[in-house]
Amino acid sequence: MLGSALLILLGLLLPVRMESHHSFAAEFDADAPVLLTGKVTKVEWINPHAWIHLAVQQPDGSVADWMVEGGTPNTLLRAGIDKNTLAIGSEIVVRGYQSKDKACAPACKANGRDVTFADGRKLFMGSSGTGAPRDGADPRERAK
Amino acid sequence: MIRAAALLLVLLLARVTSAEEWSPPRLAFGDPDLQGTWTNATITPLERPDEIEALVVPPEEGHRIEKLVADLYAAVDDVPAGKLEAGEDVGGYNTFWMDPGKRLAVVRGEIRTSIITDPPDGELPYSLRGRAQLVKRFWRLRKADDPETRLLGERCLVGFGSSGGPPMLPVLYNNNYQIVQSPGFVTILVEMNHNARIIRLGAQHRQGPIRPWLGDSVGRFEGQTLVVETTHFHPAQSFRVSLTHAVYMSTDAKVVERFTRLSAKEILYEFSVEDLENYRQIWKGEMPLLAAEGRIFEYACHEGNYSLTNILAGERAKD
Repeated sequence: MLGSALLILLGLLLPVRMESHHSFAAEFDADAPVLLTGKVTKVEWINPHAWIHLAVQQPDGSVADWMVEGGTPNTLLRAGIDKNTLAIGSEIVVRGYQSKDKACAPACKANGRDVTFADGRKLFMGSSGTGAPRDGADPRERAK
Repeated sequence: MIRAAALLLVLLLARVTSAEEWSPPRLAFGDPDLQGTWTNATITPLERPDEIEALVVPPEEGHRIEKLVADLYAAVDDVPAGKLEAGEDVGGYNTFWMDPGKRLAVVRGEIRTSIITDPPDGELPYSLRGRAQLVKRFWRLRKADDPETRLLGERCLVGFGSSGGPPMLPVLYNNNYQIVQSPGFVTILVEMNHNARIIRLGAQHRQGPIRPWLGDSVGRFEGQTLVVETTHFHPAQSFRVSLTHAVYMSTDAKVVERFTRLSAKEILYEFSVEDLENYRQIWKGEMPLLAAEGRIFEYACHEGNYSLTNILAGERAKD
């Protein structure tokens, strides 16, 4: 009884069923997972969400520009992260989903579900809070 | 058994004595000093989960819940190696970006499982009409055809959910508030979304068609307690949905808040919501506002709000 009660409590706390700041489900395509490796070209430490820009080498030798969505910089500031933490030119690996809009103008877009340095070190990790935010745009996502 | 009861009594008495001994400072113009930067971050949700009966849990149970939550948060970041699967929920970003708190709320020494204290079951007492309004608003969110139908948080107008309130409820991050007082006024700066609620002391509610964001607040001091009454809410702010709550309130709902400073580091925040259009009864809640480390950061949401554009573009891509 208590075990299931706790699960329900956790279900309410984890953002698996409800609205975050923006609707990620409305913004990104669940059928378009991406695995990107590239060098950071710019970081926009802006609200409501930070964006990491990276240049991704394509199999044909060309370079594609991607921008990856994060969360609010306010939280990072409180955690001691600043604009010097992620240097331009750093090689990172991003796992996420591409935006539904695939026009790639001015760059292709994805969410940064999981971001690591190329050597495997975690970036922006530490479990200061909850999990990946979902949204309430889909009524089926509602917990109760 | 008797020994345990005696110990509990001693602890309770010690706490009461301590609270009575502490007298909040007063400002030069005589009002109790509530100023500072405060946070309501907590993993205690607004509504109590159906299968938890008690509002209050013992410390060992509270610690167990907090550890379970922490473990689950860590598990969320533990993404299996390799490319993500198609057809899964797109999720968002690492938990490092979140800051919802780690502890259950403690009120009057009690570890709480819900912010709602009345009704006793800890659930929002929606009427049929209120529940229908909530469902209707969720249903509208299925489409992103028009920016004006999107959530206020997505549009950077006010924070998502009821972060700015009133009642002020914790959300995913930026659960910080700065209280500034001046003669005749108390201002609450809400980090999420950088809104300032100006409470006019000793004033009457404004009449007429103006319905500001966060409502029209007037207040008074009753002893050490700031009592604030708010109504005339903006119609677009009726639907307040966030990580831990989904509240629907009419524009003429009346919210009464009570701020009582208990110590240098804590304000007791109590509220009641009277909205018989959407609820079967007045509902009440309480939680602590704790002194926050650091300061409020600007949340200039409009400046970089690419997300709303992306949402609208995503809908067009589906067409």
